[in-house]
Amino acid sequence: MASRRSTRDDAENGVRFSRTIFIALIVMSGALIAFDQPDSRSQAFANFRAGFTDIAAPLLELAAQPVRAVKGIGPYFRRQGELAEENAELRRQLIEARYWEDIAYRQRDRIEVYEAALNVQTPATQDRIGAWTVADPRGPFVQARLIGRGSQSGVADGYPVINLYGLVGRVYETGQRSARVLLLTDLNSRVPVMVDRSNARAILVGDNSEYPRLDYLGRNPDIEAGDRLVSSGDDGILPRGLPVGQAVPTREGGWRVELYSDQAPIDFVWVWPFQPALGPEAEAEEELAPGMDGLAVEGVASQTDADSVTSDVPQAMTATNDTSAETSADIPGDTVDEAPNADTEPEDAP
Amino acid sequence: MRRPNERRRAPYWAALGCVLSVIVALLFQAAPTRLVEGIDIMPSLPLMVIFLWSGLRPYFMPPFAVFLIGLTQDLLTGAPMGVWALSYLVSIAVFRFRGEEGMPRDLPPIVIRFTGTLLLAHTIAYVAGSLIPGNPANLQPLIIEAVASILMFPLVAFLVVRNRRSSRSGFIGG
Repeated sequence: MASRRSTRDDAENGVRFSRTIFIALIVMSGALIAFDQPDSRSQAFANFRAGFTDIAAPLLELAAQPVRAVKGIGPYFRRQGELAEENAELRRQLIEARYWEDIAYRQRDRIEVYEAALNVQTPATQDRIGAWTVADPRGPFVQARLIGRGSQSGVADGYPVINLYGLVGRVYETGQRSARVLLLTDLNSRVPVMVDRSNARAILVGDNSEYPRLDYLGRNPDIEAGDRLVSSGDDGILPRGLPVGQAVPTREGGWRVELYSDQAPIDFVWVWPFQPALGPEAEAEEELAPGMDGLAVEGVASQTDADSVTSDVPQAMTATNDTSAETSADIPGDTVDEAPNADTEPEDAP
Repeated sequence: MRRPNERRRAPYWAALGCVLSVIVALLFQAAPTRLVEGIDIMPSLPLMVIFLWSGLRPYFMPPFAVFLIGLTQDLLTGAPMGVWALSYLVSIAVFRFRGEEGMPRDLPPIVIRFTGTLLLAHTIAYVAGSLIPGNPANLQPLIIEAVASILMFPLVAFLVVRNRRSSRSGFIGG
């Protein structure tokens, strides 16, 4: 690459490579490594990365098409012989489902009547955003997926991502047409979970292994092998009750989790635009802000800046803001243990 | 022996082949291309392409092109920016074929040199990636990638060498 003689014709194949440029590129690479740290990544770097993946996502999607087709050939031929049986079984299930559908509609109507009578305020139904994974960068540095949906489709940082079987991870870098999903197995992933049977709380900690670790279980945790683990929603970022996996004891006496989402390839996923409940202060601010204009708005903004809001809201809410503010520039860290970020803005919460 | 000026006149389709092979290698490196479920095996395709083109047509692979390829791989795979750019730059600079003839027409020296390039590139990538606080690189994918590359490269190199031998003017219009 670099010539042994600086800025002179390289006698090797008559190719001229400048040593100065080579050294400059080495220095530039080193500088990029030094500055592009996940913990302190600047907004400009994050925007650049998101913009690049926006451009690359269609190409990656194109490259993935033949692979998906090849992967489908084997199962297609294997299932040909079972089609008749499967068809009959599906018809039977369809008849049964129609019966349950009828019941569900009746129950829904009944619930609407009750809710109207009791004036119950329930969170609005949130549509999930389906997306194909277009890149699979399970490398030595990050365990993530690139999906072909971005902010144009309603995806935002911090949103949970699920597949058919359970929680896959969270969105941590959102472009306009693509987003990166941090898998539960990644070293930076921290998700509060609970045992479905006993409600025992723990933190699911990714360590780049196939089975993430369970930490902060307490001294005498009520957990058994095979227990179903779901998201606890304690961080305010994830909804409560998303299936995560099964508890697996380790030889050292600890616990790990066999993820449900690993039962099948993570090809198609749903992004859940989960809106966590706002704290009273944040709600008050939301109500105030639209009614103000001109100087009045500035006055309110200066009074209810991020410091004053985040210092009063509950821990779960601050964790949400912390992550939503950082995720565009950063892989979300431990959202439970971290102190609230003073620079965050509550309006950015997913 | 041709003069250097003749060597520089590369057919456009050779340049096109170089660009396409780089793009395909980068896309397949990042795309979800697990044909075997549950096993992540993907050789280091961009490094193979860089190595072969830097031997066949060194003027297609100046340091800046190598840097850009590495940087693109960093961005596509979500790695910290500069890690693969640095490792490719250094390893190709150390192990690239020098001399009037460039890359030899025998397979063993090519494979041996590529193995050296690969090991150096992965070592640099591991060290550089591990410098990031709290985010040490995972060694297992690097080892799997290196082994897969070493196993796959002889086949690719064999095809390249065979084409080069069979062609009067060398490989791809050379």
